[in-house]
Amino acid sequence: MSGANRDSTNDVNSEDLPHTLLPFLQSQSQNTLTRLYQRPSACLSMFRLLPPLDRQLVMNLLWLESAVPAATMGAWVTREGRKLYDVALLNLSRLHILPNPSIKLSLNGTFKASLRQAIIGGGTDGSFGTVAPKDDKHLPISIEVLDAYAVERWETILHYMVSSGTGQLPTKPSPGVLFLLQRSGLMSSVHGSALQITSAGFQFLLHSPHDQLWQLLLQYLHMAEEREMDLVEILSFLFMLSTMELGKEYSVESLSVTQKAMLEDLRDYGLIWQRRASSRRFSPTRLATTLTSLLPPLPTATSSGAGSQDQGFIVLETNYRLYAYTDNPLQTAVLNLFVTLKYRFPNLVVGSITRDSVRKALANGITADQIISYLTTHAHPQMRKNKPLIPVTVQDQIRLWELERNRLKSQEGYLYTAFASQADYEYVLKYARQLNVVLWENPAKRCFFGSLEGHSNIRGFIERRTGGQV
Amino acid sequence: MDKSSHISVVLDLSPSQWHLSSLPHNPYPLSFKSFLSQVLAFLNLHIASKHENTLAVFGAFPGKSVMLYSSSNPASDSSDSGNPNIYRPFEIVDSRVVTRIEEELELIDDKEEEAPIGLVGALTKALCYINRITHPTTSTQSTIVEDPAILPDPRILILSVSPDLSTSYIPIMNSIFSAQKLKVIIDVCKVYGPNTVFLEQAAHLTGGSYVYLERRDALLQHLVMSHLPSPALRKLMAVPTQEKIDFRAACFCHKNIIDVGFVCSVCLSIFCAPVPVCSTCRTKFPIKTLQRLNASRAPALRPVNGAAKTSAPSTPSLPSTPR
Amino acid sequence: MPPRKDNEYIDADSDSDVDILDESGNRGRKSKGKAIDRRRKDKGKGKSSEQPYAWEASYARSWDTVQEDEAGSLTTAVADLLARNRRRRLLAPANAIRRTIIRHLIIILDLSLSMMDRDMRPTRFDLSLEYAREFIVEWFDQNPLGQIGLVGMRAGLGERLSEMSGNSQDVLKAISERHKLEPAGEPSLQNAVEMARGSMGHLPTHSSREILIIFGSLTTVDPGNIHDTLEACIRDRIRVSVVALAAEMKVCRDFCDKTGGQFGVAMNEGHFKDLLFELIPPPAQRVLSRAAGAGATNPAADLMVMGFPVRLPDTSLPALCVCHSELKSEGFLCPRCSAKVCDVPTDCDICGLMIVSSPHLARSYHHLFPVKPYQAIISLEEGSAFAKSCHACARSFPDAPTSTFTATAEGMSPLGRYRCPDCHHDFCTECDVFVHDVVHCCPGCGK
Repeated sequence: MSGANRDSTNDVNSEDLPHTLLPFLQSQSQNTLTRLYQRPSACLSMFRLLPPLDRQLVMNLLWLESAVPAATMGAWVTREGRKLYDVALLNLSRLHILPNPSIKLSLNGTFKASLRQAIIGGGTDGSFGTVAPKDDKHLPISIEVLDAYAVERWETILHYMVSSGTGQLPTKPSPGVLFLLQRSGLMSSVHGSALQITSAGFQFLLHSPHDQLWQLLLQYLHMAEEREMDLVEILSFLFMLSTMELGKEYSVESLSVTQKAMLEDLRDYGLIWQRRASSRRFSPTRLATTLTSLLPPLPTATSSGAGSQDQGFIVLETNYRLYAYTDNPLQTAVLNLFVTLKYRFPNLVVGSITRDSVRKALANGITADQIISYLTTHAHPQMRKNKPLIPVTVQDQIRLWELERNRLKSQEGYLYTAFASQADYEYVLKYARQLNVVLWENPAKRCFFGSLEGHSNIRGFIERRTGGQV
Repeated sequence: MDKSSHISVVLDLSPSQWHLSSLPHNPYPLSFKSFLSQVLAFLNLHIASKHENTLAVFGAFPGKSVMLYSSSNPASDSSDSGNPNIYRPFEIVDSRVVTRIEEELELIDDKEEEAPIGLVGALTKALCYINRITHPTTSTQSTIVEDPAILPDPRILILSVSPDLSTSYIPIMNSIFSAQKLKVIIDVCKVYGPNTVFLEQAAHLTGGSYVYLERRDALLQHLVMSHLPSPALRKLMAVPTQEKIDFRAACFCHKNIIDVGFVCSVCLSIFCAPVPVCSTCRTKFPIKTLQRLNASRAPALRPVNGAAKTSAPSTPSLPSTPR
Repeated sequence: MPPRKDNEYIDADSDSDVDILDESGNRGRKSKGKAIDRRRKDKGKGKSSEQPYAWEASYARSWDTVQEDEAGSLTTAVADLLARNRRRRLLAPANAIRRTIIRHLIIILDLSLSMMDRDMRPTRFDLSLEYAREFIVEWFDQNPLGQIGLVGMRAGLGERLSEMSGNSQDVLKAISERHKLEPAGEPSLQNAVEMARGSMGHLPTHSSREILIIFGSLTTVDPGNIHDTLEACIRDRIRVSVVALAAEMKVCRDFCDKTGGQFGVAMNEGHFKDLLFELIPPPAQRVLSRAAGAGATNPAADLMVMGFPVRLPDTSLPALCVCHSELKSEGFLCPRCSAKVCDVPTDCDICGLMIVSSPHLARSYHHLFPVKPYQAIISLEEGSAFAKSCHACARSFPDAPTSTFTATAEGMSPLGRYRCPDCHHDFCTECDVFVHDVVHCCPGCGK
């Protein structure tokens, strides 16, 4: 009844992209992963990153002692779910959580033991972090301070990126961060000059903070491989951070050498907070504790004003006028990427979306969809009453401006011409059509243009044909 | 993007039923202690599934009902123990639920007669709570416009051990309808005791799943497979539904559960025998009707004029081959 | 302002449109059409001198009821207003237990050319169809044992659009295709009412017979004397209600007054919907007979035998159903003769037992056993133990009175606490409303 036909807007199979970290983990060796799975906190965080169906499968199998025939589990899957189910099985087997899913289903022993331990508790490995003993000298750090710290760090990075092209010189992040930005291709330096934001960097700016964070961390992981740091240590530290409690201070003692080395980097990104660089204790910030959360109400959006920015701040009118209630220089700078700003007031920025401003953004590699999705996610609560949220005229026009750039499409290929007879021409053309490589044809001139991939086949075909005749 | 979800778990904590359940002559005796540990594991799994998942636990005790835990105001007793071996939210839930149950059980005095179980109270409290979290309205918040997509999908899970309480028929039905209005699924897991007609209807009418636990040693597995998947996931992974649903009702006069009843046309009150005056709305029924009904009722117990099978109207048994 | 009304009005008055407006003006920020428009609340003062014209009344100084708080914000004032309205609504339902629950309703839709007027957006016709659909859905929700039929008035004739049916989908299907209902010609009230009356003649006495007319025209083209039809309706105990979209017509007013229905003229879209939706709750049983003599049996009442079936799942063995003789696996088993029927409610084809699913009946029980109104707690001094949080949803109560306005007279608690008279537990404003409006069962007492 009402329960059954509830709105299916949150259909599982729609836009259900796997987490960015998963492909990276899937590329790791079984050995690495098994070592990672030894820590309950890592298993718990991994479990959270999985898509919902995968999670359910893991849970179904978690408490079973013996293996289940694949057919038995398959019987629970509905017809609509079949495809997703297969994907989920494949996904889990790639992560080595579920070895050999084709015959019998049984979780990886290490993973199973660790996850069980995480759920029930117990064990002695302290994978959820050791809380530092009460500090008598200092008052415990408040959550507001942590949030402010995380925001400040994070926005410094973003602000540096966004203003790199404009000639302004905001505060520079630490060299480690700069190196990371450069390595990830978000910024680049041409002939040793100052770092310049790349088109990938522009796209990066429009992502949600959660995506941005993972994108950087992923890059960090790749770099760690090159630096020959132990990947398992890094991953398990990240996962441990994500299970820690906000506002608590944890002791450095129980960390490994690698992890201690990471503290500095993570401090630069704003993931953890330390009183001094040499402090024996650290606190995770909200950036860290929400790592495994998919809806990231990051404190990042809060500016010095009230916390109303969580709700979005952009009002867009059908006449392309845009009002942004913000005093945050970063948000203003991001808007500046695709909006012609007109006036600035203490808490309000007014601008309009014009053909030039959008083309500038497009030239920077930002896509129309990214602009629209940015506008959507940051729309003011008042805008949310509109349906559709972004005025259709504006949406369409932004898309049209993008299409303007795509009038010409170049493709490499070969022109086949000078056929001896119409029959020859048609015979070869027919073959090329079967291969689906014909890009253009002109029967009157007896020539056609085939794509690059098809060339070897067509050439072979013609040679065989002429060869056969001779 | 999978949505976060909310589960309100209603635990049936009748000491006498749990005592019966743990007796060794049962095919699968289940003690309260092992029940609780499995339920806690289930609760932890729910929280583990997503960072945003929320939880509320209600206890139905004899004669009263108590909210044991809720994510929106968890216990304030922030003991700084910080066990490094367990995820902090799990620790909070587990300790909170266990201590609250112990507190409440202490309060129950050892009377001979156990008061009827406060299942209805717990169920309505769960509904009120869900109403509160899904409609964060006006008076408390200022002008924050909540995006409906962020709000969790609410569900209720009832773990029942007590038999049907026929006095609670109308309140339970009312709760079912309000659950339908709130689009809340009611899942029922019958851990011990006979099937309950009312909870079967609750699960059926709200689109939830009703599980009668036979292998009671596999409680956790059943909970995980049948009651943990979110509604969206249930489209992909089937959950068990009822075999057949009994739409019987309880009469207003003696609270008997009946399958053929006499219904007042004015107020739809159900009676198990023809009555001259409706006890609810004081309507007087025509004498003629009464005579007719009384007359037809008596012979109905015997096979009349060869009409197929006249199984006595009071037996709910099913014929083996419905033909 | 009398917040309670104890017994039903016998005379269906709807004299003053001014009242309606006054109320809707007060409602102010509330989403239109949501509130139950208790229009007859203060009919005594209805035609008071300070509001002589409807259009003046519609702007009945709604801003006076809204006051800014210290910070200059309206939110608290609006919240107060909402809360107060809800409180008042809670106190309003009198203990009218005797309600007709098995209802039969014919909706007569005006399909004359006057429905093409655009004074209501997009047109009267489109709006009526839209509201009729919502009305039907809601009506079946609240009257699960009722049946609805549809008749159209078009080109001087009555047209049967759908037979009397208990399935909302059947009824909705009849008005789903707009092009089949394209308005034409003049309406004939008499023809349509006669047709409706004819299709209700055979109904058992214990059910109600009602006609709802959505009337957009100002004229009617009748073949005979319409007052004869009116007499016939009175004789057949058919209650006729009219929602007029243009203006009041004497004959419509007469129909409603004499048959005990309600008459209203819709002033705008929201009001149109309000008028329609007022007709959804089951009408109180006319208590004439009780007044006539306490000992007299109510001829409209009867005791009915009903069976509550067992539902078979779609995984059971297929068997032939008795209604269509089709091989099906799912279905319902008659509790008396174990015959298999496809759908409930129905009469068993074998033994004639009326089979209803008990949830159908139970849907209306909250009319019978309403939760007692909670008492507002005025101050914390009386009594000793005060719970810190709401007994139902565990929201914590404010410690001190939040608002300074003197609302105690209206049954508002300045503390936001409401106490059940039976179990003496405290509830917050939201739960108070939710319990009384939706759950109909007190979380404290469990009844």
